[in-house]
Amino acid sequence: MSDALHHLQKNALKPKYTGARVTRKEDARLLTGASRYLDDIEIPGMYEIAFVRSQRSAARICAIHLDAAQATPGVKRILTAKECPCFFGSAEDVANGVVQPALARDVVRYVGEPIVAIIAETRYAAEDAVERVQIDYEPLQPVLAMRESLLDQPRRVHEKTPNRMFHSEYQTSGFEDAFQAAPHHLVEVFQTHRQTGVPLETRGLAATIDPGSGRLTIYATHQSPHGLRGDMAVALGIEENELRVIVPEVGGAFGIKAHAYPEYLVVAYAALKYKLPVKWISDRTECLLTDVHARDDIHEVEVAFEGNGRILAIRDHLRADAGAYSAFPFCGAIGETVLASRVLTGPYTIPHLATTIDCTYSNKTPLGAYRGVWGPIASFVQEGIVDRVARALHLDPVEVRRVNMIPDELFPYTNAAGQAYDRGSYRASLEKALEMLNYDELRAQQKTLRDHGKYIGIGISAFVEPTAMAQSEAGSVPYESATIRIEPNGSVTAAFGLGPSGQGHETTMAQLIADELGVDLKDIVVLHGDTDSAPFGGGTGGSRSGPIGGGAALKAGRAMKEKLQTLASHLLEAAKEDVQLEDGKAFVAGVPTRNFSIRELAQVAYTDVLRLPEDFPVGLEVVARYQPKRPVTFSNGTHIAVVEVDAQTGMIEVLDYVVVNDCGRLINPLIVEGQIQGGVAQGLGSAYLEELRYDDQGQVTTTTLADYLLPVATEVPRMRIAHLETPSSGEGGFKGMGEGSLIASPAAFANAVSDALEPFAFMVSALPVTPDQILAAIDRSRDSMA
Amino acid sequence: MSETISLSLTINGKPHTVDVEPRTLLVHLLRDTLQMTGTHIGCDTSQCGACTVLLNGSAVKSCTVLAVQADGEQVTTVEGLGTIENLHPIQQGFWEKHGLQCGFCTPGVMMAATDLLAHNPNPTEEEIRDGLEGVLCRCTGYQNIVRAVQYAAQQMNQQVAAPEVAAEAEGGRG
Repeated sequence: MSDALHHLQKNALKPKYTGARVTRKEDARLLTGASRYLDDIEIPGMYEIAFVRSQRSAARICAIHLDAAQATPGVKRILTAKECPCFFGSAEDVANGVVQPALARDVVRYVGEPIVAIIAETRYAAEDAVERVQIDYEPLQPVLAMRESLLDQPRRVHEKTPNRMFHSEYQTSGFEDAFQAAPHHLVEVFQTHRQTGVPLETRGLAATIDPGSGRLTIYATHQSPHGLRGDMAVALGIEENELRVIVPEVGGAFGIKAHAYPEYLVVAYAALKYKLPVKWISDRTECLLTDVHARDDIHEVEVAFEGNGRILAIRDHLRADAGAYSAFPFCGAIGETVLASRVLTGPYTIPHLATTIDCTYSNKTPLGAYRGVWGPIASFVQEGIVDRVARALHLDPVEVRRVNMIPDELFPYTNAAGQAYDRGSYRASLEKALEMLNYDELRAQQKTLRDHGKYIGIGISAFVEPTAMAQSEAGSVPYESATIRIEPNGSVTAAFGLGPSGQGHETTMAQLIADELGVDLKDIVVLHGDTDSAPFGGGTGGSRSGPIGGGAALKAGRAMKEKLQTLASHLLEAAKEDVQLEDGKAFVAGVPTRNFSIRELAQVAYTDVLRLPEDFPVGLEVVARYQPKRPVTFSNGTHIAVVEVDAQTGMIEVLDYVVVNDCGRLINPLIVEGQIQGGVAQGLGSAYLEELRYDDQGQVTTTTLADYLLPVATEVPRMRIAHLETPSSGEGGFKGMGEGSLIASPAAFANAVSDALEPFAFMVSALPVTPDQILAAIDRSRDSMA
Repeated sequence: MSETISLSLTINGKPHTVDVEPRTLLVHLLRDTLQMTGTHIGCDTSQCGACTVLLNGSAVKSCTVLAVQADGEQVTTVEGLGTIENLHPIQQGFWEKHGLQCGFCTPGVMMAATDLLAHNPNPTEEEIRDGLEGVLCRCTGYQNIVRAVQYAAQQMNQQVAAPEVAAEAEGGRG
């Protein structure tokens, strides 16, 4: 090939869509109200289900009175554990000899646990009947406090199983010596309180028997269509091919829809058993009670450090409350603690780490995934440690970060827990964020304002985000699949096993394929969410869809490109390597008039097959799977929050927020920034607003969105975002980025409040931090000074 | 609960007469009885605003309005805002500025924005945030929603400006 031709081809390969701010393909249907979410699915003759739920956190069920409910007009069937003997057992529970029945039998173990399912003609009728069910309970003492629960106090949640459902220990070699030898030490207890994802669309399931094939079809709001199919088939005792899972439009998921729930089994079982189409959609109170909870963790931390701020060793006893059962199919308490223990040193070269992990059963809702899972907790602890070291030594928090930050020359870097970080922009992201904020000037202003009784705080959070892990919420499927079919008219249909819930995969995957095939974005249709048409995949979770799904899109795109080039080179009588794809045409490089459109090639491939080259398979279809070589790729970045705390009211106002984010090569900056902005808003909720509160009887007292506060438009700051791009070694150079913003932001918000309240010697050690805590701290400080 | 009430109302310019139980909520009338599923339910307690529609031009949360309260009234839902072929400037703004992700809250947010812009055609960022305080979005962090509404305001003012230059000159809206 001549240099000129090589140059030409190189230019032609310049991506048109990848990296561009492309508006989304999904939006037309969403903006006009035409989209179909689960509750919009209408199956003729469909019944609705409502559940009678436990009002006790711990009790024996003595009797269930159903007569009045049975007599309610519109009621079709009523199920208890006797009629619906299904159960879910996660690996963690099964190892402990525990399974969760779909409907509680004999004993209830958390408020909201389903006991009775009522199938009726309408939800109104089903709810009428729910009100008429009476359940006699014999109360048991609830197990609610993590520390006591670990000692089996006041009793065991599951009679035959100790409450401590998971334990592990880890220590770097030489830890004790290094820890003891350090000149400075500090201790702190960090606690995060229960929160949950709260997607605006509640979760649910509809199920029906396909009259033609007799197969069970379920419609589910879920992140892993194939994962759900496998799990449901096992639990229902049917073969996987007897079950079709359709995931319609999903109105947000955030991890809570990576789980399967007891109600799903009841709905599917009822459809199978009674041959009825049935649907259940959670109401918001049911969601707050029974969507997996998250973030119920305690970290007892000891830190050893030097006088210049260099941190030498961290010891952490991590505890998490799993709830009454392990969530299915994985346990949030174990996920939050085990993975937090692996990234506790964050972006810093802290050489020594010792962790002890204890997870416990309780009479609370099962703990599961919420965006970021372990990350927001680990960052809160890690960045809280850094700021405490700075305060103890009267150093600027930035200086302590600079002293400890992993320098560029040490990558790839293996941290104290054995996690291998690939290259990033650790130091650069910190410096860039400081520059965007005009940090030094702001520090000077802060001082002046303090003298006038105004308390401004600057909170820094430098983060690592493990993404695209071989194991994640999307199960242990370490790859993704993509099929591409060019239709007889030349349009492109691609299908994925992903389970998007607003991330815009139809757009980003189409961008990647469009660039490979040289076709217009509008000529590509991306399918997902139907196990009958999508290739097997892990789904969406753990920030894996961009890097792994995107890798699959690139591989499939290249395979299709190769087919088109082979076909075109035959028809054009040109060398295959001279055939280029651009503007929907295949042409000989340098001679664009010698071309075949993709449509013409498709016609040959499907209908004029005698013109195909020898051995060229009829049609144009490929399937590709991509499994990254690395078991994980780390995104990184720095967030800085600037807040003002009103010392009179304890109220917090966010004044400024900057983000420097590095998720490798960007597919679509518009979408990446949207993900970041949403994650920061959730981080604000995590830091200042959101808490699922329990009373001393194990009752959840935050059962509506009037009690569980989500951030509103007036509270969330305008964010300033900059990108750095350190490509991963994976396909396309992509790293995941769905969770980093929520991993980093709670720590930034918490540290900002700590910084603002430095004159009162206060540091945030529990999230969320609320005005009453702030006022109490200010009062304590004033009392001690007086 | 077989007792029903007959009511007549206009939805997106089209008259409807329906029989409903007295307890039926407006959102259920729209979604279940009339199969207009663009309006969504997110919380049941009028915090989230996903169910926001216009009742005689004013934004209301249709999960907190009884269907019978809309008897004889005008209701506008997202289905009446614009079509795929002819999007309303607010819909265009949400598309252009990536003001939506999962899209579940979006119809309600857009209806609230419609009310906002009808009363304040040139809102500041603060006024937009204040005006949308009653609708929750869990995906976007609101930043692109604000930009979407700003975009829509600009478009709508341009559309209005051309034919109404003379009339507006006195009003001093500029």
